[in-house]
Amino acid sequence: MKEFKDIKDDQIRIIGEDNSGKSPFRRFWIILLSVCVLLLVGGSILFAVLNREKASETEPEPAYFEPETTSEPIVCEWLGSRVDSLAKGFTEIRDTLINDIPLRIYIPHNAEMSLYVGRMDIRDTSVVYAAQAADVRADNGGIVGAFVLKGTPRSWGLSKKGFCASIDGVVTVGVAENSPLFEEATEKEGYFFRQYPLVDNGQLVENAPKGKSIRRGICDRQGEIFMVETGTPESFHDFAQALVDLGVDQAIYLVGSSAYGWAIDQAGTRHEFGDNNYYTGRRRMPKNTSYIVWRRK
Amino acid sequence: MKKQLVISTSIDLVRIAPDRVVYFASDGNYSTIVQTDGEVRMVSYQLGQIEKLIGSQLGSEGAIFIRIGKSLIINRSYIYYINVPKQKLILSDVNTFNHTVTASKEALKQLKELLEKEAK
Repeated sequence: MKEFKDIKDDQIRIIGEDNSGKSPFRRFWIILLSVCVLLLVGGSILFAVLNREKASETEPEPAYFEPETTSEPIVCEWLGSRVDSLAKGFTEIRDTLINDIPLRIYIPHNAEMSLYVGRMDIRDTSVVYAAQAADVRADNGGIVGAFVLKGTPRSWGLSKKGFCASIDGVVTVGVAENSPLFEEATEKEGYFFRQYPLVDNGQLVENAPKGKSIRRGICDRQGEIFMVETGTPESFHDFAQALVDLGVDQAIYLVGSSAYGWAIDQAGTRHEFGDNNYYTGRRRMPKNTSYIVWRRK
Repeated sequence: MKKQLVISTSIDLVRIAPDRVVYFASDGNYSTIVQTDGEVRMVSYQLGQIEKLIGSQLGSEGAIFIRIGKSLIINRSYIYYINVPKQKLILSDVNTFNHTVTASKEALKQLKELLEKEAK
C-alpha cells in the first residue's frame, strides 16, 4: 500500500495522483537515461576486458611467489620521556586533563615492579613508587583474588577479572578469568594480583561499583607501564573512559580513595597520596595490605 | 467496469462508487462517509487509512478526491463554493444535496488556486 506523508491543516493533497509523473516526457527521459547508463557501463567493461587482454599479451606471466610484504614499524609515542638506562631510577610525574578529569600519571623509569604485603618502610630509598594493590576482605582480612608474592601463592580464586603480573621484570596488565601468568609467577618467583578490570584491548570495561572516589589504576599503553590517579572523585566508568581516551590498551584498578602511597621524582622529592593512617596509629591497617612497589634496578 | 471503493473491517464492509461519496471526515480514530444520497456512515478507519485505501484501490481515479488538512477528504466533483476569509467550503451537486464544511484559510486558498489553474 502506498505510504502517504503526514499532512498539516493548511495543506491540501490530491489523492491517487502520481506527483512524480506530471511530465509526459518523464518516462521517455528515464528510458533514455537508463540506456545511456547501460551503454556507459557496458563500454567500460569492454574497455577493461580489452585492456587486460592487451596487458596479458605484453606482460610476462606473474611469478608464483607471494609478494614480499614489508611491515611498517610501529611508532611508539610513549607518554614518558626517554631516560638513559644507566640513570638512577625515579618516577616521572605528568599531570594532564582528560574529559575534564585531572589525571596524574606516574611513569617509573629504570625501576622494576614487585608486590609487597604488610607495612611498607617509607625510608626504603630503593622504592620510587608504591601504591596499594589488591583489595583486602573486610570479614577475614584476606587478600581478594589470586595473589602471588615472589613465587608464593598467598591467595586463590577469581573475584575480579583484571590481573597484573610481574615476572622476570616484565609487567603484564590484562583482563582474563584464567591466566597462565598465575602459575608462571609461582614457577619463576614472580608476582601476580587481581583487581577490577578497567580497560581491555582499548575498550572500556564496566564495573558494578557506582560510587565516586579518587581512582587509581595501573595501565599498559603501547607497552609502556604507568600508574594513573584522578585528582577528583570519579566513577569507575568515567575513570575507565578517561583511560580509554588516553589511549590505554589495558588497565586494571588499584586501591583508590585514601589508600596511601608515594612516588619519588627525578629530583628525589617524595610525592605522597592518600592518608598515611598506618603510620600515625589512627587506624590499624589489615596485615594483608598489599602494595605494588617499583624499586630502582 | 468503474472501480469501486471497498472499505472492509472484520465485521462489515462498505462498497461504494467514488462518485457517490461527497466527502470523508475525520472523527478521531473513525471516519465518516457522507454519501450523495444523504446517508452518513461511520467506518473504523482513520482518515489517513482511508486516503491510503483510495490511493491503492482507485489509483489515478482516486484523483477525484482531495485531502484537505487533517480532517477532510472531499470529492472535487462536488466543490460548489469556496469562501477563503469565511473558511467556508460548500459541497453540492446543486440539485439534491448541499454540505457546508470548514477548512483552514491557507488550505482553501490552495484549493481555489488549484481549481483556477485546472480551469485554464
